[in-house]
Amino acid sequence: MTRAAYTVPLTAASLFGGLVLWEIAAHGVSGVIFAPPSAVLARLGRDTASGVLPLALAGSLAHLMAGFLLALALALPLGFAIGRSATVAAMLEPVMSAIYAVPPVAMVPFLIIWFGLFYEARVALVFLMSFFEILITVTAGARNVDPMLLAVGRSFGAGRARLVTGVMLPASLPFVFTAVRVGLVRAINAMITAELFLAAVNLGALMKQNAQRFDMAGLLSLVLLLCLLGLAAQEGLKALESRLLPWHVHRR
Amino acid sequence: MKRLGYNLVGIAAALALWELAGRLAGATLFAPPSIVLVEFAQLAREGQIFAELAISLRQMLVGFGLACLIGLPAGVAMGRSRAVDALFHPWLSMFVVTSVAALVPLFVLIFGTGFWFRAAIVFVASVWYVMLTIYHGARGVEPRFIDVGRAFGANPLQTFWSILLPALYPYIVAAMRIGLVHAIRAMVVAEMFIILGYGGLIYRAGYSASTAPLLALLVTLMLVSIAANEALRQAGRRLAPWYEERMAPGEAQRT
Repeated sequence: MTRAAYTVPLTAASLFGGLVLWEIAAHGVSGVIFAPPSAVLARLGRDTASGVLPLALAGSLAHLMAGFLLALALALPLGFAIGRSATVAAMLEPVMSAIYAVPPVAMVPFLIIWFGLFYEARVALVFLMSFFEILITVTAGARNVDPMLLAVGRSFGAGRARLVTGVMLPASLPFVFTAVRVGLVRAINAMITAELFLAAVNLGALMKQNAQRFDMAGLLSLVLLLCLLGLAAQEGLKALESRLLPWHVHRR
Repeated sequence: MKRLGYNLVGIAAALALWELAGRLAGATLFAPPSIVLVEFAQLAREGQIFAELAISLRQMLVGFGLACLIGLPAGVAMGRSRAVDALFHPWLSMFVVTSVAALVPLFVLIFGTGFWFRAAIVFVASVWYVMLTIYHGARGVEPRFIDVGRAFGANPLQTFWSILLPALYPYIVAAMRIGLVHAIRAMVVAEMFIILGYGGLIYRAGYSASTAPLLALLVTLMLVSIAANEALRQAGRRLAPWYEERMAPGEAQRT
């Protein structure tokens, strides 16, 4: 209690102070270079009320979800296979880390050649950017299942299938949650990256229009929206995790 | 040794698969490694890619260096002081999820497309990851170590230099490795957006009739990235022999 009583006011003061500083800093310079938070928030409210922003966001979320779910569906089983089998790991890991070392945006010219400039290419970029992030986390989770738990299961006569469903899956759930969280934040990054580097549509198109008009308030309102979206995904999944997996003490 | 054998089998299988896919799809869609290798030799003789790569990497290293200079002490301060944590954590969690690509149009307006634009993008892309990783390390330092130091009459400065800092070595390396991954990605994002430098070469290679130059550029970038990561890992082993593989990028991102 006392800890919260001491940190909450500090956090609130920091957020408030940051906004005030931003406002003061922005008033000193012209609107072409920077915009104050009051203008940015007003802009965010106006564009939300007029329906421009919700419509663009809905379009962006469409390829976000398609790419992310595809990545999840493939990376989860593969991650378990790599994590639980030393042979599979030894064969796949060098190749995986080599591909991981290539910045996904550098693959954009390829995606254009294979998938064109529109929806399919955006889904492919989201997939590419979240797949490896999910894979690495799930692999670590499957590998780090406490051998003691598996031994206990075995000595109680659990078969292979029962060991997987009864011990391994629950034991690695925290990692699966982390993988989903890290992957989703990455997918949100990929969503806007795709709209800026492929054909400009939805939020990416708005962003480019605002940049061409030197409309700082408009540009910052979009950055703020994306930031809030990422924050909502991150904190929402963290809250869900502590609700659903109360036995797993968060390391924070 | 058996593991190394499987590693080689995996790499050989991947290359064979690439060659096969490349032969089937043709060089316009997916050039096979045999053609990419020839293309790479050609590009290496011309030398432009290495010149561009050197310039791009220098700008990247300035941004990344600044990110480490600021991110490491800030992360340690946040991890060791509850007040500093309360003040800065909300900002950190907000900035760390912000997409770098979304900042690129903004930074072009603020900085133009010169040296500082690219350094700034690399800085904001990596500093939060550096900070967050070292933050978790600083928080997790075994309190008993500190207590023992205190019991032997260490002053705060001695505690920092002789206990806290050595305990943080592995996390410093981990933070730099994770930061570097994001720094290299950001370098490419920034340069592909303004079509300059090495990223610009990649972008323009996309319009060539064959995918061989594109793949040669990507493989070069991959080798640089792997080499840099490996160098940091070796540095980590030397600096802190207790440095473990579990701190590899990706796994330490579980924040």
